[in-house]
Amino acid sequence: MPLGPASSAIHIHPNVSASASAQNGPKTPTSITLHPSALFSILDHYIRRKEDQHRVIGTLLGTRISDTQVHVHTAFAVLHSETSEQVAVDMEYHRSMYELHHKVNPKEVIVGWYSTGNPDLNTYSALIQNFYSQETAPHQAVHVSLDTGVEEGQQPGVRAYCSSPVGVFPKPENCVFVPVPVELRFRDSERSGALPPSPLTDIDILQSTLQNVVSMIDRVLVYVRSVLSGETKGDPAIGRFLMDTLGASTDDLELEKGGFNTRLQDTLMISYLANLVRAQAEVSSRLALVGAS
Amino acid sequence: MAAPSMAAALAASLPAPSAAPAPATPTYEAIPPSMSTLIDVEAEIPLKYVQLDGLVVSKILKHSCDSTSSSPVGLLLGIDLDGVLEVSNCFALPHHSGDDDDKSAKSVARYQASMLRSLKEVQGDDNVVGFYQASTLGAFFSQNLIDLQALHHEKLRHGGIVVVHDVSQTARGNASFRAFRLTSAFLDAYKKSSFSTASLASHQLTFSSIFEELPLIIHTNPLLSAFLGEFSSVSPDTAPGSASVSALPPSFSVLDLNSGGLTKNLEHIVDTLDTYRNEEGNLAYLSRQIARERAKADNYVAKRKEESAAREDVTRLFKIPPEPSRLESMLLLGQVDAYAKSLAETTSTGLVKMYSATAGSV
Repeated sequence: MPLGPASSAIHIHPNVSASASAQNGPKTPTSITLHPSALFSILDHYIRRKEDQHRVIGTLLGTRISDTQVHVHTAFAVLHSETSEQVAVDMEYHRSMYELHHKVNPKEVIVGWYSTGNPDLNTYSALIQNFYSQETAPHQAVHVSLDTGVEEGQQPGVRAYCSSPVGVFPKPENCVFVPVPVELRFRDSERSGALPPSPLTDIDILQSTLQNVVSMIDRVLVYVRSVLSGETKGDPAIGRFLMDTLGASTDDLELEKGGFNTRLQDTLMISYLANLVRAQAEVSSRLALVGAS
Repeated sequence: MAAPSMAAALAASLPAPSAAPAPATPTYEAIPPSMSTLIDVEAEIPLKYVQLDGLVVSKILKHSCDSTSSSPVGLLLGIDLDGVLEVSNCFALPHHSGDDDDKSAKSVARYQASMLRSLKEVQGDDNVVGFYQASTLGAFFSQNLIDLQALHHEKLRHGGIVVVHDVSQTARGNASFRAFRLTSAFLDAYKKSSFSTASLASHQLTFSSIFEELPLIIHTNPLLSAFLGEFSSVSPDTAPGSASVSALPPSFSVLDLNSGGLTKNLEHIVDTLDTYRNEEGNLAYLSRQIARERAKADNYVAKRKEESAAREDVTRLFKIPPEPSRLESMLLLGQVDAYAKSLAETTSTGLVKMYSATAGSV
């Protein structure tokens, strides 16, 4: 699930040789996942920026699953100002905001920072990265750069980086940002909140899902027909997948034959019971009112 | 307390005077007629519906999943404009294992104040419009929720709202958010803190008239919609063989025939019914006691009357206990009803799914 336009960047792979990781201490993150609520917060912050602000920055909170995997769960805005001569980040604000978040969710720690807008990396990025690296030590800070896509010719997307010092004498304003793959990740139960829904009934959702399945079957049908007529060359892998999917018969489903009726009776029984309980509750509450007179 | 900041926020949202000749002499322009109806300092325009921002939805979902507490609570921030309550942000409140009520209330208040101050610094909204609470299976009737909402009613414009999020419904793939307010009849009874039978009858209160529901819509700002649209779209010309390029692949969990959670739902109903029966038992016991004491008192008065010397204060001799509050039993009935309702909904969807699964084979 890539977040954003395809890139040709080379990513670091986790299996770096043992000697390299031994001397570097904590390993560099190799994959970053972003929770929708963090993404939404960043976008909201961008909308609320002051008119003269070109980009906004903020802190990312999350958890480290292993040395190389970072999950970003929360993002909050941090005050900062940039001019052509200097950059300032309100550390006090950042600290107090972190304390507040920490009280609600003690598991989340500072993992890095985000920024929006173009250009996504500059000298100040390195300075801010240096500051956040101190906050996240001994782990590396990650930097999530979000392109809002509001400027023409820009694809919206999210990129993530970790940094490494560069130069003979490492200076805070010099560093190399190494791209890290980033994904949108959420629990299955949160899916319905990730897409913009209006309050729907269960039946509506069932309907839209069934329509989705029908359209997928149509797509497969078009493909199979074109293979049969010899227009396209069949891909054996797809054939295998199709056979597995279609071969999953409904025979072993308990709904077959007697199973269906039993299940139907159970469901109906529960349905009657539920309605009976509701009726009783209603009657009972009315009786409480009558009792007075 | 909320009103002045509200007025300031409204004033700030108005278009700035466009043709000001010189900055030295500020000119005060009349409020344009199109906006004049929206100026609502005294909160006179009634709320028509509640609009929940996509950010708020995702934050509430996350908080409900992460929280260890059974009913996570947070504050909603936003503004009301021309009958629409726009909820644009929210934050979670820390959960306290309530050993020390007074202390935890103070620390929550402190937390709230410093969070609001911090949000204001980054141009966030800092106007509290209500709170949210997560619940399971649609049952949200609880003493805590009512106390908090009644407290908000006095402080907030429009009395504040409560947004109830149903965790179990969301787990089935349908994010459920509902907005409520306390009805005026209930608030009246609550202020007098009388939930005796007579008071309930005079206010016509049942569990279904504690809250009034407000319509709720979910709104995503255009930037967010564009972002989501970009991620969830699969370009139609993709060959079936290539891997799906969407960052938000569709889910098919609703097609699962085993509509799980039925057993749990039934258990909840039975448990709540048990609690309700206990409560009813208590109430019946108390009413019997009241009747007994009253009978004694009446006897005494009658006897004294015969002796024509009923000068003594009868109430001092007989302690007639106050009539028990029926609030708890009313709330429990509400819980039972909500559980039963969600059970009925699950089964009806289940029936549809069963018939559609067998539609081809029969």
